[in-house]
Amino acid sequence: MDSVLAWLIITVIKILVILGIVLGIGAYLTLVERKVAAHIQRRPGPMVVGWHGLLQPLADGLKLLTKEDLFPRYGNRFLYNLALVLALVPATLVFAVVPFGPEFETFGIKVKPILTDVNVGLLLVFAFGSMAVFAIALAGWASNSKYALIGSMRKAGIVVSYEVVITFAVMGPIILAGTLSTYEIVQKQIEQKLWYIWLQPIAFVVYMFAVLAEMGRVPFDIQEAEAELVTGFTVEYGGMKFGLFPLVEWYVEGLSLSAIAVVLFLGGWSPINIPFLGFIDPLFFLGPLSPFVWFALKVTLLFLFILWLHWTLPRYRIDQITSTAWKVMLPLTFVNLVLTAVIAPLIWR
Amino acid sequence: MEYMALLIFFGVLMAVALLFVFINNLLGPKTPEAMEDYPYECGVPLYDRSAQATFHQGYYLLGLLLLLFDIEAAFLFPWTVVYRYLGVFGFIEMFLFIFILTYGLLYAWRKGALDWQFEEEYF
Repeated sequence: MDSVLAWLIITVIKILVILGIVLGIGAYLTLVERKVAAHIQRRPGPMVVGWHGLLQPLADGLKLLTKEDLFPRYGNRFLYNLALVLALVPATLVFAVVPFGPEFETFGIKVKPILTDVNVGLLLVFAFGSMAVFAIALAGWASNSKYALIGSMRKAGIVVSYEVVITFAVMGPIILAGTLSTYEIVQKQIEQKLWYIWLQPIAFVVYMFAVLAEMGRVPFDIQEAEAELVTGFTVEYGGMKFGLFPLVEWYVEGLSLSAIAVVLFLGGWSPINIPFLGFIDPLFFLGPLSPFVWFALKVTLLFLFILWLHWTLPRYRIDQITSTAWKVMLPLTFVNLVLTAVIAPLIWR
Repeated sequence: MEYMALLIFFGVLMAVALLFVFINNLLGPKTPEAMEDYPYECGVPLYDRSAQATFHQGYYLLGLLLLLFDIEAAFLFPWTVVYRYLGVFGFIEMFLFIFILTYGLLYAWRKGALDWQFEEEYF
């Protein structure tokens, strides 16, 4: 009985931490994005609300909360609201299997900083990732507006194409680790003294392309296409309902996919790796906090890389994006899979 | 036990999502106007009310291809986990499977399922 209670308390604390990370940091990433965008274009960005615009996300949230609740006249109200639920819930559930650091002990209880270390973790990640397409398709369909429908169809086409690519791309690291549990994959990388990016550069590049596509980031932001479609499938949503879609699509999914990339390719919470020799930890002075800092640092750098691309690259046409997925990325992942299968026995030893 | 935590998290997230759905109805002003819920278009009256009409068939093809390849990916996932214990037999089996998969992709490619601008290129 006592252990069940302890488990329940730990689980609730973990859920609160994850919700804080997802919604709190997710909201503050809007400010980060605007600041990064502004400084890339040599302007200051938001400066008025708070010191250097630090309170801007709160002001934005307050504004979105106090908007009138509008619903497009010819739409379908049930599907319109269902799309919101389908957008938020699966995208955030992915965080249940993201390991933030190694197991530690407090008050005599061993705690793994991961909500559930299920043995099919990665399968869950991609199952939930596939649910995003339902939210997008429903949002456009239920709004019954031409801009929304075109935007949602484009986005659904892109997500569908890159969904296949991303599942084949992650198979390389899974073969090397021999497990689907995210926690175990990181442990295997530490045991083998090898970040999988050193053996899986093709898979990593393909994975990053797929992340950009699933997030709807430049160069794959054709579903948003500010100049022609206004904002794509979210055009008929207002207030907080509108606020939720970019929050989920850009920040929650961006964070979760970056975190999974770090887990699969960059050794999770392990410090800098020299292949087959060991790890160098310049942050050793942080003691037991160092793994958590490393994990956060890697995710942040990957996320900033995605933001940086946003202001560097042009936008592609929908048929170019999907044909790149099927004609270039997918054959590349097949080649990578066979190569990995050949070299994997050398890694296991 | 592991999946119970997932279930609890799912419940919490459903509550948060429903909050997001209804919060504007609770906090926002209600000032109804005649045209405020009119679908967003160019400012002229809608030519036809429904946007749920036909669209480019390339999207249907993408959906079909997703079904085929995602199911095959689902078949490969268990293999990736137990590959270590299968040895040479596992490698040859997988190689044949990926070969057939690649052949299917080449077939779709050859049939033009991946080309959206067929007409413009060939006529």
